Amino acid sequence: MSAGENGGSGGCINGIKSALRVIPNFPKPGIMFQDITTLLLDPKAFKDTIDLFVERYKDKDISVIVGIEARGFIFGPPIALAIGAKFVPLRKPKKLPGEVISEKYILEYGSDCLEMHVGAVESGDRALVVDDLVATGGTLCAAMNLLERAGAEVVECACVIEVPDLKGRERLRSHGKPLYVLVESQFEPNSQ
Amino acid sequence: MDTLKIFNSNVVIQRFFYSGNFVNQLKLTALSFSSTCPKKRSISASTAPVGTGGRHFHTAASNHRNTSCFSHMAAPTSDGHKEDVKDDRISRITSAIRVIPDFPKPGILFQDITTLLLDPVAFKDTIDLFVERYKDKDISVVAGVEARGFIFGPPIALAIGAKFVPMRKPNKLPGAVISQEYSLEYGTDKIEMHVGAVQEGERALVIDDLIATGGTLCAAISLLERVGVKVVECACVIELPDLKGRDRLGDKPLFVLVS
Repeated sequence: MSAGENGGSGGCINGIKSALRVIPNFPKPGIMFQDITTLLLDPKAFKDTIDLFVERYKDKDISVIVGIEARGFIFGPPIALAIGAKFVPLRKPKKLPGEVISEKYILEYGSDCLEMHVGAVESGDRALVVDDLVATGGTLCAAMNLLERAGAEVVECACVIEVPDLKGRERLRSHGKPLYVLVESQFEPNSQ
Repeated sequence: MDTLKIFNSNVVIQRFFYSGNFVNQLKLTALSFSSTCPKKRSISASTAPVGTGGRHFHTAASNHRNTSCFSHMAAPTSDGHKEDVKDDRISRITSAIRVIPDFPKPGILFQDITTLLLDPVAFKDTIDLFVERYKDKDISVVAGVEARGFIFGPPIALAIGAKFVPMRKPNKLPGAVISQEYSLEYGTDKIEMHVGAVQEGERALVIDDLIATGGTLCAAISLLERVGVKVVECACVIELPDLKGRDRLGDKPLFVLVS
């Protein structure tokens, strides 16, 4: 579901949505990049963003929040702090020191890899996966795989923005997991 | 009182705890986190904290060590109890940080803050210590250096009502940016900030998890000063004093929790 369907938080959502900006042709021609940095420049909108997630998750017995490098590191920790959960960073290869488990995932061209520390997450942990945006859902699925391999239960994935045309929600659904977002954004191929 | 001392050699940076159990503790810390046996529970201090008086936590490192340590804290208060509570928080934070030998290369003892993030009380204490220091200093911008600065910066920014500005490696930020190159041991690197993120006259804090040589922080300060922002202070969880980052920052003050 998305927060837009929640009614009461509509005013907040509008403030959040208008704080986002779209940068055309980044990182390559045809991509409309959803930039959350302008949201971070608006303290009220940034706080509202965190508060909306905290409201949703504070009574759900979440014991761990994983954030995906690097923008998931901006949204995950404030939520974790507010609900008293651990924060676990998921990183690109070779960034985490010590023992890790890795999950490879497919990109449009080629593949990438996400790593998590061994021992950070334990069997029985109830986990939330946080990132700034969900597109195809590939990264979120890799994150969920890492958590499940470590014995955690993934409760939900939470993102600020969803790009519905890229069908991440369907991909998560086929993994059996729900997705919660605050804002939906349309993906428009650059026809200008 | 245990003290943390750092000795330089030509090749190796080593960190010693003046405690008879040092070697065993270091091994214990590393092993208990990476092994698959149930003992690893101890590293995450997941037992509930007590409400008053002493804090009890079961990180492997703290079991045997007397956990007071010095830090470059704010001016001492006359309230002895307040100082005790502050020392308590610093002890817990220090114990929650683990050291990984030979990462990213042989001879380096890597200060890993991810174990701090697994201890919700210690992580909250870390943020609270920074917020207490900065909340009345009219800070309008918190700049965080990618990527671990992104973990500590935003919670501080949210608590004090400041903007958060990410400082990133090249080609990560979309749109117009300004760049600052800085020297590494071999070669150079660059960080970037969005044009228009900050305005002339704003008062800024620069955050990172750790200061070593100070190169990255100096580059971050340059970016902010180039657009007319006043950098009030740099703040890090950890300082490696022997790498003289504090000197490199020159007239810019540095505040750290663990040294």
